[in-house]
Amino acid sequence: MPEFDRRDFLKLVGVGAGAAATACSDPIEKLVPYVEQPEAITPGIAVWYASTCAECPAACGLHVKTREGRPIKLEGNPDHPINRGKLCARGQASLGRTYLPDRYSEPRVKGAGGELEASTWEEATAEVAARLNAARGRTWILGESGGPTLDGVIDTFAAAADAKRVVYEPFAHEALRKGTEAVFGVASLPLFDPGKADLIIDLGSDFLSSGLSPTENARQYSDGRDVKTHKSGGTRMISFGARLNLTTTASDQWIPAKAGSEGAIAFALAQAVLQAKGAPEGADAGAVSRFLSGSSIASAASSAGIDTADLAAVADALVHAKNPLVLPPGVAYTGSSATSTVAAVMLANAMLGAVGNSLTVPPASAAPAPANLAELKALVQAMKAGEVEALLIHDSNPVYSLAGDLGFVDALQSVGTVVSFASLRDETAQAADFVLPDHSSMESWGDRAPRPGVRSLIQPTVRPLLDTRSLGDTLLELGRALGGEMPEGSFRNVLEQNWADVNWRDALGRGGVFTDVAIEPVAVTGDFQGLGYKPARFAGNGDFTLVAFPHHFLGDGRGAALPWLQEIPEPVTKLQWNSWVEMSFATADKLGVGFGDVVEVTTAAGTLESSVLPRGGIRDDTIAIPIGQGHSEGLYASMEGEGDHGGWIHGPMGAEGQPGVPRGANVMAALPASEDEAGGRVWLGSQAAVQKTGRFRRLALSQWTDNQRERGLAKTASLAQLAGHGDDHHGGHGHHDEPPHTFTAAYDADPDQPYRWGMVIDNDRCNGCSACVAACSIENNIPMVGETQAIQRRDMAWIRIEKYVGEGDLKGGAARRPVPNREKLGELDIRYIPMPCQQCGAAPCEAVCPTLATYHNKEGLNGMVYNRCAGTRYCANNCVYKVRRFNYFDYGNENFPGLLGLMLNPDVTVRQQGVMEKCSFCVQRIEGARQPAKDEGRDIRDGEVMTACQQACPTNAISFGNLRDAGSEVVAAADEPNRSYHLLQELNTRPAITYLAQVTRDENEGKH
Amino acid sequence: MAPPATAVADRLASPDRPRDSRANIDIMAPTKGVQWPYFLALGAAVLGVLQAFIVLLYQTYVGLGVAGYQQPVFWGVYIVTFVFWIGIGHAGTLISAILFLFRAKWRNAVNRGAEALTVFAVITAALFPILHLGRIWKLYFLIPYPNQRELWVNFKSPLLWDVFAISTYASISIVFFYIGLIPDIAIARDRATGVKKVLYTILALGWQGTGPQWKAHSRSVLHLSGLATPLVLSVHSVVSWDFAMSIVPGWHATIFAPYFVAGAVFGGFAMVVNILIPVRRIFRLERYLTDYHFENMSRFILFTSTICGYAYAAEYFIAWYSGVEFEQSSFWLRAFGPYWISTWCMITFNVIFPQLLWIKKLRTNLPFLMGLCFFINLGMWFERYVIIITSLSREYISGSWGLYVISPVELSVLAGSFCWFSMWFLLFLKVFPVIAITEVKELEIHARDHGGAH
Repeated sequence: MPEFDRRDFLKLVGVGAGAAATACSDPIEKLVPYVEQPEAITPGIAVWYASTCAECPAACGLHVKTREGRPIKLEGNPDHPINRGKLCARGQASLGRTYLPDRYSEPRVKGAGGELEASTWEEATAEVAARLNAARGRTWILGESGGPTLDGVIDTFAAAADAKRVVYEPFAHEALRKGTEAVFGVASLPLFDPGKADLIIDLGSDFLSSGLSPTENARQYSDGRDVKTHKSGGTRMISFGARLNLTTTASDQWIPAKAGSEGAIAFALAQAVLQAKGAPEGADAGAVSRFLSGSSIASAASSAGIDTADLAAVADALVHAKNPLVLPPGVAYTGSSATSTVAAVMLANAMLGAVGNSLTVPPASAAPAPANLAELKALVQAMKAGEVEALLIHDSNPVYSLAGDLGFVDALQSVGTVVSFASLRDETAQAADFVLPDHSSMESWGDRAPRPGVRSLIQPTVRPLLDTRSLGDTLLELGRALGGEMPEGSFRNVLEQNWADVNWRDALGRGGVFTDVAIEPVAVTGDFQGLGYKPARFAGNGDFTLVAFPHHFLGDGRGAALPWLQEIPEPVTKLQWNSWVEMSFATADKLGVGFGDVVEVTTAAGTLESSVLPRGGIRDDTIAIPIGQGHSEGLYASMEGEGDHGGWIHGPMGAEGQPGVPRGANVMAALPASEDEAGGRVWLGSQAAVQKTGRFRRLALSQWTDNQRERGLAKTASLAQLAGHGDDHHGGHGHHDEPPHTFTAAYDADPDQPYRWGMVIDNDRCNGCSACVAACSIENNIPMVGETQAIQRRDMAWIRIEKYVGEGDLKGGAARRPVPNREKLGELDIRYIPMPCQQCGAAPCEAVCPTLATYHNKEGLNGMVYNRCAGTRYCANNCVYKVRRFNYFDYGNENFPGLLGLMLNPDVTVRQQGVMEKCSFCVQRIEGARQPAKDEGRDIRDGEVMTACQQACPTNAISFGNLRDAGSEVVAAADEPNRSYHLLQELNTRPAITYLAQVTRDENEGKH
Repeated sequence: MAPPATAVADRLASPDRPRDSRANIDIMAPTKGVQWPYFLALGAAVLGVLQAFIVLLYQTYVGLGVAGYQQPVFWGVYIVTFVFWIGIGHAGTLISAILFLFRAKWRNAVNRGAEALTVFAVITAALFPILHLGRIWKLYFLIPYPNQRELWVNFKSPLLWDVFAISTYASISIVFFYIGLIPDIAIARDRATGVKKVLYTILALGWQGTGPQWKAHSRSVLHLSGLATPLVLSVHSVVSWDFAMSIVPGWHATIFAPYFVAGAVFGGFAMVVNILIPVRRIFRLERYLTDYHFENMSRFILFTSTICGYAYAAEYFIAWYSGVEFEQSSFWLRAFGPYWISTWCMITFNVIFPQLLWIKKLRTNLPFLMGLCFFINLGMWFERYVIIITSLSREYISGSWGLYVISPVELSVLAGSFCWFSMWFLLFLKVFPVIAITEVKELEIHARDHGGAH
C-alpha cells in the first residue's frame, strides 16, 4: 500500500476545500498587503498633515486625516489663528473635490467634432505653447488669486507670454474694498471681531454665512455672547434686511428694511453718530459732514418701509453703546451705491471707536486685488473686438458666473484659443479648446497669506490620483516653452524658495507660520470723491425687488459640485438640492401659487424659472433667489446624477437625470451687469416680475414644519431665569411640570464600567451653520441620496439641525403640501436644535428589535450591529427623536461612484441595502482612544475623544465626554441648572444628551 | 331564535330522494369537471400572483426604496395588509372552534369555507412581514435557532412574539382544517378515479368511517377546538401589541388587544360572507347555505361593528381625556389631517353602514350583504392604514413630521395578495368540498332522529 501520510491527506483536503470554496462563491477580491511598507504608513493608523483650506478666501487651517495614503477627513488646525481647529461645512466637503467622479482624468483637446477628446500632456502643452506663442500680446489670464507663490508664478508666466492678467472672483467685495479705501486710504478688506462689540448693527452682511471669514466670526460672536462669562448676555445684534438670513436668525432684533435702503440707513445712522460723537479725529469735519448729508432717520425709515421710531431707537442705542460695531451690507445687499454705503459705515465705525477694536483695517495686501465689473467689461469688450487671441482660465467658472447680459459667453466665441485648467468638469472647461486639468488642493502645493501674520501652507496629502498636473507646474512649463525666464525646478521648489526665510519643516508641520502682528492703526483720511448718498437704483420694472443671495453652502456656485453641500439642508429654509424663489405668503397668495409651484421670474436681463418657497420671513415687496444653482455641467451640480433609482416609480422624470440639464436656475444670469459708483458689481439692482406657470415641481424640504406645538423641544430661557429669578424655567408652556422621574444619565451604563458617554449641546451657541452635519457625514460614510430621494425624505443624515420658530401652537399639521410658516416679518424667535441620536438610557428602539441588532452596550451607548439587522424598521418607528435612518437602496455602494469610494473612512462600516443606521457617538473614535489608553494602563482621558460634530462645531456648542468623570468638560458644561433639559423628558427615555436652552436677551423680559 | 337545525335538516331530508347521496352529489359537484370561467378566474389569479412575484424580485434586488416609505413613516401598506389578512383569518377560527364548542349547529354549513379562508388568509398574511424586511435573506435572524456564535433573538420584541403567534396559528389552523377534511376526502376518494384516486387515498389516511375512527375524529376536533379557541384571542392580541407595546402616540393604548380581536372577527365575517355568497350562487348550494346562515352572520357583523365603533370612540375619548398633547394631536390629525379620507372611510364603512343590519329584511338580502361586506373589508383595510400611517406620520418631534404615499410597487403587491388568496381558494374549491359533507349529514341525522324536537 502506497504511503498516504497525514501531510498528503491534509494537502488533498486543502485542495478540495479550496476548489469547493472557489467554485460557488462571489468573485474573489484580494487584500494585498504592502510588500515594502512605506515608512510613514502603518495600516490602521491615521497620519495627519497640516494644510490650508482652499474652498474660500478665508484660508482656514486644516488637519488632513489620511489613512493608507489617502485623505479621508478634514478638520480644522487648532494652531491656526483664523479657525482654531474648527471648519465649516464647505471646508469639510471640499475634500470631495479630490474624489469626485467628474474630474478630468487627463488633458483634453477639442477635436474636430467640437468634443473634448483625451490627449497627453506632451501633445497638449506643446500645442498650447505654440498657440500662446502666436498669440503674444493678445493673451489674457482670468482666474482667482491662488496664494502668493502661485500668483507670483502666474505673473512671471504672464510676462513670459506677454499676457494680461485679470484676477477674477465672483464675490470680489469691490465695494467693501473701495469704501474702506475712501475712508481710510487703505484698499483692503477690513477684519471684524463681532465678539469684541457689545452692540452690532448688521446691515445685511450675513457674516455667519457668506461673510469674509464665517468660521472665525461665528466663534467670536458666540464667545461674545457666552452667558457663562457674560452675565448680561454679551453682544447684542440688530439686523436689517428684507429677508431672514442665517445671521439675522442669530440676532436679537430684526428690522425688515426694504432691500435697497441699506444706503439710506447707513447714512442716517452715520449722521446720528456724527451728531453725537463728532467727526473722527484728524478728519476734515466739513467733508465728513458734507459726505454724510442727504439722508435722515425719517427719510431712511420711509424709504426702508420701517417705523421711524424703530430706526431712531437703533441710532440711539448705537450712540449709547460702549463698544458698538456697524457691519456693512454683504453680497446680497450690494446695491447701486454700495461703495458710498460702505464708506458711511466705515466712517460711523471710526466715529464710534470701533476701528482698532472690533474692526481692524490691515494694510493693503500684496496679492492682486480682484477685478471689478468695470475691468471685466473691458475684457469682454476686448474679446468681442477680437483683441483676445488666447484666454487662459484657472480657478474660476466665468461661463457660469458671468452668464447674462455682460455677454461673456458670446464673447468667448470670438476668442481663438480658450484654455481651462479646471480640475472638475464645469461649464467653462467644457467650452474650452484645451483642458489642462489641475490637481485638487489635496494633491497640490501652495500657500495662502490671508492677513498680516498668517502665512499658511498647502501641502499634498495624496499622490495625484489622475493624470493631472498642478497649475503652477503647467504654467512653469508653458512659460519655459515660450522662452520666458521662469524659476528653476518645479512649483514645489518655487514654493520652498519663497518660504526660505522660515524653517520649512516646522512650517509644514504646523501648517504655516503664525505670528502676532499688531496691525497699524489707521486714520480717517476721507477721500469721498464721487461718493455720497444716492437712493438705490433698480433696473427693470417688475413689482418685486430681486434679492440674489449667496447660498450658505454653494457660495458663488462652486459648492454645487459637492453632493454634501447640495444635500445638507440650507439652514434657514431647510431646502436641499435645488434653487427656489422665496416670497411672502401674501405675495404667493396674490399670485395664486404655493410651495413648489413653478414661477417665471423676469428681470431686465433675462428670465428664469424655479419653484416657490412661500415664507413668513421676507417682505411682501421682495423675492429672493439663492445664488449657486443652475449648473448645466457636473455630475452633482447638474441633474446628471439624478434618476438612478426607479424612474418609473416616481413618475416620469422628464428631462431630469440627463447631462446638460441644469439643476435649478442660475440667478446670476438674470442679474443685469451694472456697476456701483466705483465700478464694483451690483448684486441688488433688479426689479423682477413674477408670473405663475401653472406647473409644479416639488422641492426637497427636509423639515416640513417649524411649529414645535408647545412641546418644548427647543426651549428658551430669559436672562432673568438664568439669574435664577424666573418662575418658568424654560419658557415652555405646558411642559414645565416636574419631570416624571429625575435621573442621572451617568447611571445608564453597567455599574462596573468607568464610562458613560454623554453630550451637552448648547442651543444658545448653535447658529445652525450645519458644519456638524458635514463632519458627521464624512466621518461616518453617510451617503448622499440625491434630489429624487431627498424629495421622498430619505436623507441619511445622522445629525440634523431642526429649526423652530417660537413655542408654536396647536394649529396646522393637516396640509398635504406643508411649508414652514411661523416666521413673521420683523419678529425673531428662531431656535436651532441639533438632533443626533440621544443614546437613551432606556431606549425605545432597543426593546423592539427582534434580532437585538440594536442593543445597549456597557458604556450606555445604543449600539447598532449592522450585520445583525434584518430591516424590520421597528426601531425607527419607536424612536421618539426620529434619528434613525434606513438604507432604502444600496446607497453604500451606488452612492459613492468612482473614486469617491476612496474617501470612505475605513474605521466605519459602509452599510448595506436594507439595514438601519444612526449616530453612534462616533464609537470608532472612542475605540480609537481606548487602545492607547489600554496600552498605557489607564482610563481614557477627558478630551481624548471628540465626536466629529463636536470637533467641527465653529462655536463649540457641543461638548462630549464621560459622564462618570466628575471633572470632565461635559459634566461641567451640563451644570447649568437654569437652562439644561433633556428632550422629551416626560417620556423617560433617559437621554445621554443634555440641551442647554437658548437664551433670549430681552432686558424687558422677566420684569413683567 | 328560531330552531334552525330543524329547518335545514328538514330540507335536506326531503323524502323523495336518497338523502345521503344527495348531499354527496350536491356538495361534491363543484369539484367535478372544469369550466372555462373557472380557468379564466384561476388564470387571472395566477397571473396576478406572477406579476406580484416579479415586482417583489425587483424590490428585493433594488431595495425597499421602490415602496412609498418616506421618513418618518417606516411601515407602510405591507404591514397594513398583513394586519388585514391576519384579521380575515379570525372568522374561520371563530366559526370552526368557538361556535363548535358552543354547539352552534348552524356553523356546520359554513365552517369548511371559513376554515379554508383562515388557512389561506394566514398564509397570505405571513408573507407580508417577510417581504417588508429590508434584507429578506436574513429572515432566519428572527428565528431562535442554535448557532455557534450564541446569537439569540430578543424575546422582549413584540415582533418576535408575532413570529411565534403567527406560526402557531398557521399550524393549528392547517391541522384543524385537515382533520375536519378527512371524512370528506374519503368520500371524494370513493368517487374518484385515476391519479385523483391515489391522491385522495393518501390524503384520506385510510379513513373508513368506522366507529373508533369517528370517535378519534370527533375527539381530536374537540381538542383542537379547545386549542384554537385561545388563538382567536391571542393571535390578534399579539399582532395588536406590535403597536400597543410601542411608544408611538396613537399606538400606545391598552384597548388595542380587544379592539383588534373584535375588528378581526368583524372583518373576517365580512370576508366569509363576501366569499360564500358567490360560491352559493355559482355552485347552487342554496340548500345548504341558507338565508338563516347569512342572517346569523349578519348579526355577528352588527355586533362586532358596534364593538369597533365603541373602540374608535374610546380611543378618541382617552386621547382627549389623557390631556397629553401628543395623543391629542395624533387623533385630531387622524380625523382632520392629511389622511382624513381614510379615517372617515373607516368610520363610515365599519360603523355607520353596518347599522343598517338592524333592519331584518336587509340581513337576508344577499346583494345588499355582498355590497355591505365589500365596504366593510375596505373599511377594515383603511382602519389599519389609519392606525399605522397616520400615527407614524405625526409623532413627537413635529419637525420630523412627514407623509407616506403608496407606490405602484406596493399596489401591485397588494393586488397580488388578493390574487394569491383567490388562487388558493379556487384550487380548494376544485379539490375539496366547500361544505363539510359529513357535518351536514350529521345535522340531517340529528334532525331525523329528533324530529326537530331539539
